[in-house]
Amino acid sequence: MSGLPHSSLERQRRRAAWLFLLPMLVVLAGVAGWPLFRTVFFSFTDATLATLDGFQGVGLDNYLWLVRDPVWWRAVWNTLVFTVVSVGIETALGLGIALILNAHLPGRGLLRAAVLIPWAIPTVVSAQMWGWMFHDLYGVVNAILMGLGLIAEPRAWTADPDLALPVVIAVDVWKSTPFMALLILAALQMLPRDLYEAARVDGVHPVKVFVRITLPLIRPALMVAVLFRTLDALRVFDLMYVLTGNSRSTMSMSVYARQYLIDFQDVGYGSAAATLLVLVLAAATVLAVTLGRVRVDAGR
Amino acid sequence: MGLRRIAFALVVLGIVVWAVFPFAWAIVTSLKAGSALFTVEAWPSQPSLANYAAIFKEQPFGRNILNSLMAASAVVALSLGLAVLAAYALGRVRFRGRGLLLFVVLGVSMFPQVAVLSGLFELVRWLGLYNRIGSLVLSYLIFTLPFTVWVLTTFMRELPKELEEAAMVDGAGPFVIVTRVFLPLMGPALAATGLLAFIAAWNEFLFALTFTLTDDARTVPVAIALMSGASQYELPWGQIMAASVVVTVPLIGLVLLFQRRIVSGLTAGAVKG
Amino acid sequence: MAGVTLRGVRKSFGRIEVIHGVDLEVADGEFVAFVGPSGCGKSTLLRLIAGLEEPSAGDLSIGGQRVNDRPPAARGIAMVFQSYALYPHMTAYDNMAFGLTLSRTDKGTIAERVRAAARLLQIEDLLDRKPRDLSGGQRQRVAIGRAIVREPQVFLFDEPLSNLDAGLRVQMRLEIAKLKADLRATMIYVTHDQVEAMTLADRIVVLNAGRVEQAGTPLELYHRPRNRFVAGFIGSPAMNFLDVVSEGRADGSVRVWLPGGVPLDVAVDGAAPPAGTPLTLGVRPEHVGLADGGAGLLATILAVERLGGETHCHAALEDGQRLLVRLDGDRPVAAGERLRLNLRGETAHLFGADGQRL
Ligand SMILES: Nc1ncnc2c1ncn2[C@@H]1O[C@H](COP(=O)(O)OP(=O)(O)O)[C@@H](O)[C@H]1O
Ligand SMILES: [Mg+2]
Repeated sequence: MSGLPHSSLERQRRRAAWLFLLPMLVVLAGVAGWPLFRTVFFSFTDATLATLDGFQGVGLDNYLWLVRDPVWWRAVWNTLVFTVVSVGIETALGLGIALILNAHLPGRGLLRAAVLIPWAIPTVVSAQMWGWMFHDLYGVVNAILMGLGLIAEPRAWTADPDLALPVVIAVDVWKSTPFMALLILAALQMLPRDLYEAARVDGVHPVKVFVRITLPLIRPALMVAVLFRTLDALRVFDLMYVLTGNSRSTMSMSVYARQYLIDFQDVGYGSAAATLLVLVLAAATVLAVTLGRVRVDAGR
Repeated sequence: MGLRRIAFALVVLGIVVWAVFPFAWAIVTSLKAGSALFTVEAWPSQPSLANYAAIFKEQPFGRNILNSLMAASAVVALSLGLAVLAAYALGRVRFRGRGLLLFVVLGVSMFPQVAVLSGLFELVRWLGLYNRIGSLVLSYLIFTLPFTVWVLTTFMRELPKELEEAAMVDGAGPFVIVTRVFLPLMGPALAATGLLAFIAAWNEFLFALTFTLTDDARTVPVAIALMSGASQYELPWGQIMAASVVVTVPLIGLVLLFQRRIVSGLTAGAVKG
Repeated sequence: MAGVTLRGVRKSFGRIEVIHGVDLEVADGEFVAFVGPSGCGKSTLLRLIAGLEEPSAGDLSIGGQRVNDRPPAARGIAMVFQSYALYPHMTAYDNMAFGLTLSRTDKGTIAERVRAAARLLQIEDLLDRKPRDLSGGQRQRVAIGRAIVREPQVFLFDEPLSNLDAGLRVQMRLEIAKLKADLRATMIYVTHDQVEAMTLADRIVVLNAGRVEQAGTPLELYHRPRNRFVAGFIGSPAMNFLDVVSEGRADGSVRVWLPGGVPLDVAVDGAAPPAGTPLTLGVRPEHVGLADGGAGLLATILAVERLGGETHCHAALEDGQRLLVRLDGDRPVAAGERLRLNLRGETAHLFGADGQRL
């Protein structure tokens, strides 16, 4: 813009823009930027919750301990399994529900309303509700499965190391599929109708229409939705914490980090774990943006 | 054709049951008092509101609800106030660095919360907000603010350019344009965005768990997660379910009432094909 | 009241220049229309004058004052937008009063001015309504009222009538003409509809691809278009263009040969091109007559369009060139018939290969 005459109007607008942004930027810097910086900083120290202002630098020690802790790797594994499986199922199911909602059939309104309910329920409440349903002694799940003769004796769903993670995934699928379905539905509703009419007139098989026309067209929106859900899943905390506490069989990276930070008061070590989690999220984003060519519309 | 319709109806029915059953079961459980809790029956033989009475008498649940309401309302009001101005700047003024700023805002909303936990803990303690609602308002801003900025920016961008230009010709500066021309037009957008931010704040768990200590200072999700009964080994499931129902019914009501708005708010915030 | 002067005004969006150096003088109290095809830069030019865009180069003055660095509100202008741009949440009254409220004019003056404008526009009964409760024409009046209330030195209109249906458009056109007489303010009016421009304007500025092709009174443009573009743009139905060959000069005019070997002498200003130069002959459909006798240009009628008051004949000359002929409404002609046409040198125009009038 240099060299051109600046009208006072444009200048005034730009100045106002920065002025308007300032409060938000200050707040974000205060609640996000600075704390993040402190977390990374703490990760190179031996700070504890009690001695947040008296600590010593320990270099990479925290990280070296971390990579040698099998529980940490278990948490990484749990998080990845949880993310891949739950997001995968949610995408498939969400796509199915979105297609049903998009087809103009009776019962659509009811279905949409019903599907919104899990989304509206707080995660903690969902976890408790399912925790109760999966209760080993009095849970309705055991009662139904035994009634149907599918299992012979009650299972300890949330305590059994082999079953706990699947249970957590099942609850997440229940809770998050609606979000997926709604986002996909929005994408579906933006597709031109005459496209489908043309395909129907040409007698193209519906499955082929879906694979050849629908899927490529909603792909960008689908990818963004998947990315959002993935980032959300990678930082999961509430579900595991409420359903299974700090149990190792389901512990996510967030649960691990918080356990050290708060329960064990080892801020330095916990911060190192939290920092690694940020790196994993950043890597996932970069991967999605480059490999999946996800285009997040950040201002035209 | 008929068979296909029936199969289809069954699928839809299955999804509806799957979506609704857990909550319905929570309602049923919440009506079971005493030992009825430990029998699996579709409807309690003697429905009782004892659990509902207990959460307000034996537990400080009324106080918890109040805490949640105050924290969520304050953070939503604060976020909307900050976001409307920021959204005008991001949505309607061209300046260098705008794309980067939007990206940063989106990035912050994707932050894992544990990543700021130690830094925030330090800040909260330094400000003397530990175990107070202020700590929650402060920490919730980290997700409500980026979200409201992002959604309002997309709404702001859709407002007609000529309206703003007419106001400029009328002598309105940027602040007057935002407050007296755009803001009155953004009622629905503000309602949808505010509602979604409110729900997010209302549901938040990690910060509330970490920054509060006493039963009285807890928010609803923490109270529900940590609710304990007479003995440590015996969780008061009836009360937990009653509390769950109490906080969820208004949410479900709101969500069903504002269905369309919410869907458009969500998609404006998340997906732009 | 004040005139508007543009000196070498240029405007680029990014690397693309859309206004290529415009010089223009609008006199105090003059009604000037900008016309031109869509995308030629009419709105951009108007918005430059309004201060909604900043010029990349050049000077802009209003009432003798350089206004380049002044915001729109300080330029003494008011603008009426194509989409009306009324504030949807305000009543018609508040819409009109908004600018004055912002400049802290006292309430009595505001009420007085709003009522006066409302009276002029006959919208006194509508002042309490919100825009959504008004019809298109009524909204347009409120938008004009909002401009009047500002008591500007210069009114700027950007296609104010193009969102109205045809009948209403004619009615509003008459009202704007009346407004022009009542207010005696300088007005600049953008339109792509040349009928609006011809009927309303004291002077028309024809724009094409960011340049002024010609500025002049409506009849000047009609009778003496400076180039082929203006000739084709002004007048409806549009002028016919025929490829002809120059025969050389014949006392103050150029003789050209029409298809079928018919000669025509056309008066020109400049030097005559040498014989054999290919030229373009322009004739308006209303200036093509039917020859009485056996002489004249032979044409075959391809299609006849009857409009009631007039008849349009699409005809082909002997060498295949097309020609539109405008005849009176009841003239008994039919497709397939052959006609003898009569062109007159006084109403014909000659353009060189560069499109400029000879
Ligand atoms: N804000 C802008 N950014 C980029 N190009 C623009 C902008 N405004 C107008 N243009 C371009 O400038 C040219 C002239 O536009 P405009 O003045 O609106 O034309 P008109 O009003 O004559 O139809 C067009 O090619 C248009 O695409
Ligand atoms: Mg235009």
